[in-house]
Amino acid sequence: MSDNAESLTETQKDEPSTPQQPTEDSGTADEKKKIDVLLKAVGDTPIMKTKKWSVEKGRTVQSLSQFISRFLKMEANEQLFIYVNQSFSPSPDQEVGVLFECFGSDGKLVLHYCKSQAWG
Amino acid sequence: MADDKDVLRDVWFGRIPTCFTLYQDEITEREAEPFYLLLPRVSYLTLVTDKVKKHFLKVMKAEDVEEMWFDFEGTPLKWHYPIGLLFDLHASNTALPWSITVHFKNFPERDLLHCPSNSVIEAHFMSSIKEADALKHKSQVINDMQKKDHKQLWMGLQNDKFDQFWAMNRKLMEYPTEEGGFRYIPFRIYLVNELMGIPRIHDSDEIPSKR
Repeated sequence: MSDNAESLTETQKDEPSTPQQPTEDSGTADEKKKIDVLLKAVGDTPIMKTKKWSVEKGRTVQSLSQFISRFLKMEANEQLFIYVNQSFSPSPDQEVGVLFECFGSDGKLVLHYCKSQAWG
Repeated sequence: MADDKDVLRDVWFGRIPTCFTLYQDEITEREAEPFYLLLPRVSYLTLVTDKVKKHFLKVMKAEDVEEMWFDFEGTPLKWHYPIGLLFDLHASNTALPWSITVHFKNFPERDLLHCPSNSVIEAHFMSSIKEADALKHKSQVINDMQKKDHKQLWMGLQNDKFDQFWAMNRKLMEYPTEEGGFRYIPFRIYLVNELMGIPRIHDSDEIPSKR
C-alpha cells in the first residue's frame, strides 16, 4: 500500500500544533492524538539527526518507514526494515498508536530501523 | 493441551469451499472457466492459490499478466489476513461457495500489500508469531528456539502438516504455572465498519492473564 510520507513533528521544538488544529491547553488533545517515537539505527544504517518524533496515533508503520527513507535520502530501490522490541517487524498497515499501547515503555515507542534484515 | 487436541485439529483443518472467477475485463485468448478450491482457514491466500494462477494463465498471454490479486464484491482481499478471517469479515452471511474474483491488472496500491514471493508471506507470518510471543513470554520462548525450529513452524503451515506445526507451536502455547503463565494474552479484534463494510484492526488488545 502506498501512503504520502507527510512530515512528522519533532518533540524537541516548542512549536504549537499545526494551524488546522484548534488551540488546546497544556497540549492535552495532543497527548491523546499523538505518541512519542524514538528511532534507533541498527548497524551501519545512518543515524537520524533527530531521533525523537511526535507521531499521530493513526499513522501506519509504512508511512513512518517512508518518512525515514526520505529523511535519510535513501534510493528508491533500497529497503528499510522497522523493528519493535528488537525482535519483530510490525505489519506495514499497523497503526503506531496500537503498537505504542502494546509495546510502549516510559511514555514512548522505541523503533529500530535498518537497511538490512537485523532480527529477521 | 492433550484434551484440546480435537479442537486444535478442527481449527487447523477448517476449510472454505471457494469459487474463483476471472475478472470480466481481463484480456483472455478464450473463455476462462471458474476454478474451485477448498481453502484452509489458517493459511494465506497467496500461499495456497498457485493452482488458481496456473489455471487462468492457460487462457492468457504473458504480457497481460501482472501480480495476481483478489476481490470479494469489489473489496480487495488483504492477503496478509488469514483466509478464515477474510471470510468471516466479508462473506460469513453469504452462501457457499465463497465467490472470489481474480485480477492480474490494476493492482490496488492503496489497499493491498505486494506479495512478490513466498518468503514475504513467511516473514509476515514469523513476525506475527514473534509479536505474539513478545506479549506472552517477553519473547523468551521464541528466542530460545533455534532457526530450524522457526523454519519447521513455517513449513508446517506451508505444507499443511498439523503435527509438524504443533510440535513447535506447543512450546509457544505452553504457560508454565510456576512461572506465572502468559504475561499477556494477545488478541486481535477486527471490527467491520458497518457504514462502509470496511474491516479494520480496532486494537491489538492485551489481556493480563490471571495469576
